[in-house]
Amino acid sequence: MVLPRRWRIVLLAAGLCVVIAGIPALVVFLGAFEHSVVDAAVEAPLTAKQIANLAPKGRYIAAAADCVACHTTEGGAPWAGGRPFEMPIGTLYATNITPDPETGIGGWTRAEFQRAVRDGVAKGGRHLYPAMPYVSYRQMTEEDVDAVYAYLLTRQPVRQENRRDSLPFPYVRQFMTFWNLLNLPHDVPSPVAQKSAAWNRGRYLVDALGHCGECHTPRDITMGVIPSRYLQGAVIEGVDAPDITPEGLARLGFAPNRLGDFMRSGMGPQGVMAFAMYDVVQHSTQYLTDEDAAAMATYLAGDPPPPLPAFAAADLPAGTKDNGHRLYVAVCGGCHGLAGEGTPNVAPPMTTNAALRLPQPTNLLTVLITGLPWRDFPHGARLQDMPGFTGLLTDQEIADVANYLRATWGGRVPDVTPATVRGMRPASDK
Amino acid sequence: MSLAKRPLSLTVNDRAIGPIEVPETLMMLDFLHEHLNLTGSRVGCGQGICHACTVMLAEPDGSWREIRTCITGAQFFAGKRVRTIEGHAERDGQGNVVALTPIQQAFIEHFAFQCGYCTPGFVTAAAVLLERLKRRPIRRSEVEGIIETALAPHICRCTGYVRYYEAVRAVILATPGLVVG
Ligand code: FES
Ligand code: FES
Repeated sequence: MVLPRRWRIVLLAAGLCVVIAGIPALVVFLGAFEHSVVDAAVEAPLTAKQIANLAPKGRYIAAAADCVACHTTEGGAPWAGGRPFEMPIGTLYATNITPDPETGIGGWTRAEFQRAVRDGVAKGGRHLYPAMPYVSYRQMTEEDVDAVYAYLLTRQPVRQENRRDSLPFPYVRQFMTFWNLLNLPHDVPSPVAQKSAAWNRGRYLVDALGHCGECHTPRDITMGVIPSRYLQGAVIEGVDAPDITPEGLARLGFAPNRLGDFMRSGMGPQGVMAFAMYDVVQHSTQYLTDEDAAAMATYLAGDPPPPLPAFAAADLPAGTKDNGHRLYVAVCGGCHGLAGEGTPNVAPPMTTNAALRLPQPTNLLTVLITGLPWRDFPHGARLQDMPGFTGLLTDQEIADVANYLRATWGGRVPDVTPATVRGMRPASDK
Repeated sequence: MSLAKRPLSLTVNDRAIGPIEVPETLMMLDFLHEHLNLTGSRVGCGQGICHACTVMLAEPDGSWREIRTCITGAQFFAGKRVRTIEGHAERDGQGNVVALTPIQQAFIEHFAFQCGYCTPGFVTAAAVLLERLKRRPIRRSEVEGIIETALAPHICRCTGYVRYYEAVRAVILATPGLVVG
């Protein structure tokens, strides 16, 4: 069959388009646009002496970068991986980074380790998924990554096979080249000369090591962080990771000196670290030195920090105020103090609590409905559990107490409705 | 300064109480001790950890839950029905105890407590558990786990845990209808 001439031209044009579009796509797919920030000099292996010398520093850097939280599964050996990460298209598992030669990173060269951490490309050219925050770690210095490498090589080797991810097909990894083209910065920012040394060190701790933006910066449809909304807050695991820009922190009532203490102790006038941040304190920020905690606070709170806005309670309808106050005395005041002043080592104050000042009531309602477990905190501190009130209070009552708290001590418009509460209750209790 | 008061009416151990004017900010434990002279509920920690102060609170559907009176305001109980430790044993017309509940008897027989400070709380926890099993029996294999969960929040500084646990298990297994299959 011979196609009419018109059709042949259309088909030919379509074919050309596919080829023309396909070539760049193939080029991207094969990684031609990928740019390594790793210097060729790291091809030289570290000597045994260098490893021994760097390892203590590596312990500190690994803590500041919070490696262990992901690379250890609940009840598993430290650094041996296995912790699951549920993604929309399947489950990923953190890998074994003990020095076991077969199942861990014992057979990795210094350069391979550097490229995995800073380029997102593992030994053998296998692309990592950005659940491993290489976009942030890209900013780590060569020496710090070497130190972590040295530290890990001096850990106890644990033989534990990595679990295969459950993604639908195996070529997804190579598609990370497209993701990287969109979301992995080509180069890393240099220190800002006009800013203080503390601010620059703080930025390094926040962006490179602490990878704060991975949770506190919202992501776009490609799951890359949105640079223009840097640290402005995002929803993570169903709760709000707050806005931690200088203005955001000031609105929550954080002065820089308080913020450093809060990062290390996990508690203070602004409340108690909860949700994923509890683990961050437990594995990471509690180990920061005085100087580093202060530097982190200097960077986050601003140098100079904006003035803390004057606090003003929000108006509350008389009925809600009366009900809310009664309920507060009935089920909150026994521990949090009848005037919201808190009880040391028992329950945080309400008067200065950052959770009440958040724009959304999500975190407050989560705590009111499901409670919080008892926890150990740094330096031998321990807080008992906060009971959830899902079985004890009605939707209206939880809404009233939430509105009372937010208006009185959060200065927030009391807009929580019983329907909001209902929507957040566990399925077993609707 | 005088404390703001509100009238309070509730049912304690099947007796209608009030209305009594009580301070808005009074905790239930103090109300039981100071206003009703029901001093059996203990104050251990006063911050919600030890559970020595718990009483039974009736739900609208007639089931019971345990509630800590040291951290719950008296006004919370307005219109509600509670059972304190004084309301468990059977009494005669003069208020004298004539028969302990099976769980109270079992705690004595198992030598579960020494100083007895925590005992009102453990009796409360066990009674709530037994009431629950009456309504919703469990399988034999679940018995140990459910006792552990029910008693776990209670602290006994004389460390009578094992004996409390064994006493509760004995009562559950000896009471018809709590365990199925
Ligand atoms: S006194 Fe109430 S829990 Fe300890
Ligand atoms: S018997 Fe003494 S505290 Fe339990």
